[in-house]
Amino acid sequence: SVEGDAIKVFVRVRPPSEGAALTDGDHGLCLSVLSANTIRLHSKPEPKIFTFDYVANMETTQESVFSSVAKNIVESCMNGYNGTIFAYGQTGSGKTFTMMGPSDSDNFTHSLRGVIPRSFEYLFFLIEREKEKAGSGKSFLCKCSFIEIYNEQIFDLLDSASAGLFLREHIKKGVFVDGAVEQVLSSAAEAYQVLTMGWRNRRVASTSMNRESSRSHAVFTITVESMEKNNEIVNIRSSLLNLVDLAGSERQKDTHTEGLRLKEAGNINRSLSCLGQVITALVDVGNGKQRHICYRDSKLTFLLRDSLGGNAKTCIIANVHPGSRCFGETLSTLNFAQRAKLIKNKAVINEDTQGNVN
Amino acid sequence: AAAPGAGWAAVCEKFRTARTLSAVESRKDPETEPYRSKYSARALLQEVKQLLSGGEEGGEARLLAVRRAVLEYELGVNHTDTEELSAGEEHLQRCTQLLQPHRLSPDCVSLYIQAQNNLGILWSERDEIKTAQTYLESAEALYNQYMKEDGNPPLDPSEHFMAEEEKLTDQERSKRFEKAYTHTLYYLAQVYQHLEMIEKAAQYCHTTLKRQLEYCGYYPVEWALNAATLSQYYLSKQCFMESRHCLAAASVIFSQAGQVPSAEDNETEQDQQDLRQRKAEIARCWIKYCLNLLQSARKLLEDNIGELDPDRQLELKAQRKKEEDEKEKGRKKAVLFGTSDIYDSVLAMEEKVSSVYPLDFQEAREIFLVGQNYVQEAKEFFQVDGYVTDHIEIVQDHSALFKVLAFFEEDYERRCKMHKRRIDMLEPVYADLNPQYYLLISRQLQFELADTYYEMMDLKVAIGNRLEELDSHTIKKINSLAQLAIKYYELFLDSLRNPDKVFPEELEEDVLRPAMVAKFHIARLYGKLITSDSKKQLENMQTSLEYYTFLVEYCEKYPNAVRAIETELELSKEMVGLLPTRMERLRAKLCPFI
Repeated sequence: SVEGDAIKVFVRVRPPSEGAALTDGDHGLCLSVLSANTIRLHSKPEPKIFTFDYVANMETTQESVFSSVAKNIVESCMNGYNGTIFAYGQTGSGKTFTMMGPSDSDNFTHSLRGVIPRSFEYLFFLIEREKEKAGSGKSFLCKCSFIEIYNEQIFDLLDSASAGLFLREHIKKGVFVDGAVEQVLSSAAEAYQVLTMGWRNRRVASTSMNRESSRSHAVFTITVESMEKNNEIVNIRSSLLNLVDLAGSERQKDTHTEGLRLKEAGNINRSLSCLGQVITALVDVGNGKQRHICYRDSKLTFLLRDSLGGNAKTCIIANVHPGSRCFGETLSTLNFAQRAKLIKNKAVINEDTQGNVN
Repeated sequence: AAAPGAGWAAVCEKFRTARTLSAVESRKDPETEPYRSKYSARALLQEVKQLLSGGEEGGEARLLAVRRAVLEYELGVNHTDTEELSAGEEHLQRCTQLLQPHRLSPDCVSLYIQAQNNLGILWSERDEIKTAQTYLESAEALYNQYMKEDGNPPLDPSEHFMAEEEKLTDQERSKRFEKAYTHTLYYLAQVYQHLEMIEKAAQYCHTTLKRQLEYCGYYPVEWALNAATLSQYYLSKQCFMESRHCLAAASVIFSQAGQVPSAEDNETEQDQQDLRQRKAEIARCWIKYCLNLLQSARKLLEDNIGELDPDRQLELKAQRKKEEDEKEKGRKKAVLFGTSDIYDSVLAMEEKVSSVYPLDFQEAREIFLVGQNYVQEAKEFFQVDGYVTDHIEIVQDHSALFKVLAFFEEDYERRCKMHKRRIDMLEPVYADLNPQYYLLISRQLQFELADTYYEMMDLKVAIGNRLEELDSHTIKKINSLAQLAIKYYELFLDSLRNPDKVFPEELEEDVLRPAMVAKFHIARLYGKLITSDSKKQLENMQTSLEYYTFLVEYCEKYPNAVRAIETELELSKEMVGLLPTRMERLRAKLCPFI
């Protein structure tokens, strides 16, 4: 197919925080953006060149990140495809800024608002347009849920009183979080309200490295259902849009499952480390041998199974910090992003026809 | 000693507090400040370092260097724990520099190895696996050299800040030293895996597991799952004896987990559920074991049309007899798990299923039955309601077990019944499954159902051929099986269509072969349909020709596809050449006067 089903990978370089470039080692920056899809990492002895679908440099605006990354996915979502947008990167690399916007109280009207509020606006803009075009024949229902995966446990951010939830599979409905609150949405503003309310319930932690570092993965899911009546045939389409904010990638490594102590610390990010494993496994599939692998039940990858090598459109935004002190983490983020490009996704339209019996 | 008396006691006390803060207190830190205790520990360590540098004395340079190295080590680990890798690296480097000249002496060797371990972790976190490898391999070499040259239980690093009377026993020293080395091997296993030195990685995993058992440093459930997973590696290498050994050990160790009540004995429903799931996971590994053993045996025994070759069977049976005499010798070469009591249980577990290729139906059936039991066990947990994917995968395995057992069955009627069992388990799950969320599984089921019907039809034809004359019942049966096979192949092909219902111009690599095989089988099936109506027969031949032609034309357009379906293409070309003539003859018979 023309577009290709591979996962799209975008890299965004944030500007160094004020004053950081001065205090930061001798060279200051560890990378440079060469073009709209290549980046050079100043590694020694040889610099490394990485190629991605799109590279946003420090000057790229929020609007242009949205247009190149999310617009297409939101459109596909309207056409019945499931879509997922991930933000990946070290804590402090600008994930929250990219996805949400600056940490002001009202991000929704802020000129620097991020991918998520813009996706809401665009989604509801498209819905309104469709409705006008089709008249009374077509109706839409949007619902959302917002969950957090922390320490391999699932919590409902829309219901802070709820205890740990479970992931289950339904033979007709696919993977779902059992008992998660679903809220009906009628406008972009409402979606944003729900999101910010849930966002406040997230688990964050301060470390001397970062003021705020998220210890959890957050998954905001919008279900778009459309119903179209056409000569007694009712066409129902439904699709999911997942917006995922991953915990800081610097804590992803599974190497140090040393004894009891480190095992516990390591567990915080098992989801993320498994994500890496799943990606590797997906890339290596092919020897066709019959085997069963016991460790594949990271909650995050399970929840997003459809988005990784299933039938959905997926893109990853890899955020990097250009400071030379972040060299190691930046390299590993770029390596991760490189591997992610190899995953292929089959996009299949989600359509079933009902009511044509008589 | 340097700094004797009260001053030294205070230093030791500070050091001890730092260690407790770091290892024990930090676990209770609030989520909002996960590193609070680590930061306090760090401050204490810095203080200790200050105090030491004050008390420098001439003759005690070595002692002082070692103590400093201990502090640098602790600070290094502290910084890496709190995500400050660069600072951590500096401290660890200083530690190894200080120890370099003394690294083979009993008071330094353990610390040196642990510092190398941590440098290995640190570099692997930066994805510099090669660098990590050099640190870890040098730790491994140091351990071996020390054990060869000295071998006495070395000092534990914490002892450098202990009063004489608190020092550890030799037994405890040895335990801690061995544990540090086990970690070296464990990290090396991961490094080798990242470097795609798969065989070496597996070997290090195996040794790590073995050492965990030896030194009692394991959680039964985790250990069992690791061993079960490792068994799957051996499966892919066709090492059935090793695979079985891992699985038997997994089952034995897992059964310990159920017996030991947890520390506080407040096992939640969730823990119970986890335990049940793990048990089912191990059962699934056993299923794969049985399946692979049967399938590999089938590969050995089949002739060029996929039937059991009796000559080959006799040959292999003779060969086995010869090998049995040498069996005991071979066995000792493998790495075995467990101390004597565990080992006996593992052996007993192993005896329940063979690890040699089954060579006849009876032997195959025994392995099949073991596999089938595990299917039941796995299904108890992985029920379709809630575990759709896992459940269906188990059903697919069950079907595969029947399929390979049927190969060993000589009676065609009975063989057919085995395939019918497969249909009966696959069809209901397929009917319920929503392809929107389970596209890949849905395709697999379509294809497998088609294939099973296809195979049954072939068997019915073979049975019919033995009769004097085909009776109407058999004809009906053959036709209906063929129609069902066609139906499922078509469903599979339809699943490849795009949203506008158009079949792809060029097929993706992962579905190329199945799609072509489906087309080819449909062509054959139309050729097999039996009808007395010549017009209908002509139509069937026409359809058959269309499908054969598709294959030939596709391969002309995309020569890359030829590789995947060489045999099928050859036969298709032949049919494309033959069919028109046959159809011409049939037409002539239909209208003899034209």
